Amino acid sequence: MREPLIRGAGLVAAIAYAAAIVWLYVTQPQTVAQVTGGFASAVGAYRIDQQAFDDGLRFFRAGQFAEARAAFARADSAERDPRTQFYIAYTFYREGWGRLYNDDALFAKGLAAVDKAIALAPGGRLVVDDIDLQMRSADELRAELQRGLTREASDFNPLKVFRTRK
Amino acid sequence: MSALREAIVLPLLFLTIAFVGGARLDARVALVAPTLFSLVLATMVIAALVRSGALAPDRLLHGSRSTIANANGAVVLLTLFAATSQTLAMLTPRTGLPLLFVDIFLFVLLLNTLVAMPDRVRLLRSLAVTLSSALILKFVVLAAVSGQTESRMSRVLVALFDAATFGSITQEPEPASAGYLAFFTVAMYLIAVALLPRVRAAQSAELVPR
Repeated sequence: MREPLIRGAGLVAAIAYAAAIVWLYVTQPQTVAQVTGGFASAVGAYRIDQQAFDDGLRFFRAGQFAEARAAFARADSAERDPRTQFYIAYTFYREGWGRLYNDDALFAKGLAAVDKAIALAPGGRLVVDDIDLQMRSADELRAELQRGLTREASDFNPLKVFRTRK
Repeated sequence: MSALREAIVLPLLFLTIAFVGGARLDARVALVAPTLFSLVLATMVIAALVRSGALAPDRLLHGSRSTIANANGAVVLLTLFAATSQTLAMLTPRTGLPLLFVDIFLFVLLLNTLVAMPDRVRLLRSLAVTLSSALILKFVVLAAVSGQTESRMSRVLVALFDAATFGSITQEPEPASAGYLAFFTVAMYLIAVALLPRVRAAQSAELVPR
């Protein structure tokens, strides 16, 4: 009676442990928050810190991008929320955008963040309903960041100084 | 072998080894899958374990056992394979000539062990010596010629050695914790292998030629 119970429990524990290890290998989390958030997200129990997100949004609209990123990072400490990751990518875009040239390092970070947002979004489609943004989909933001990182002849077009930040 | 050992202790030990063995500690922690060659070496280790009688597969998988007991046995074998391959991958240098030499060293040693057909105790001793040697080579010897040293003289000697060997010997510096983690993993692996169900005495006499 006792032996089948031990065998059953052992089998379940081993399968669960193996699944957790495979998940860790696939997702490569770097912090405890990412580990716990990842597990919570897997069972649909992950929630961002709404207060921190609202703070981040306020900083973002005021043009305080470093502060906004800090607040967004606090809101989504496990990096599992596509919308927050989208806003983080947008902060990199707006901070890195320049009338004469873009900051490649910030654009590269923005590209990494928007890729993360796309990977987290169901079906890879992410549209943010925010009237303050000119690019509301992750695809538009990604293309804009990628264009900013690409070197091409049109970069030397003097009329580019008249373009506007989105 | 008790059900507790087969169903819980061994799988959890081997899974922990597979998990820890794959951890690479750099600026960030990365979990690395085993290399193809470490899978080959792991197959050879398991073959040696079976041939020496240190592992009796029929005590894990057999028609006379219940379905759940066979499932536990299969989990032990799968996790043993994963742990062995990750342990060997962990003990192999990452790049350059040391990678090639250690791979050849492990391959020849395991091939020799397979052909020699030692008994269980001798195989376990041989495995302990092989893994310990690889551990010392990577985390003591290679770390010493590759690591960041404090004194200027040591840095000059390391730079000269690196130039003389065209950078083919030195490895990326590893944190000190990597060596401790490897030691812990190897020790746990050897304990877990010793806990595997062995061939019973009567069968063992038939297995090993005297």
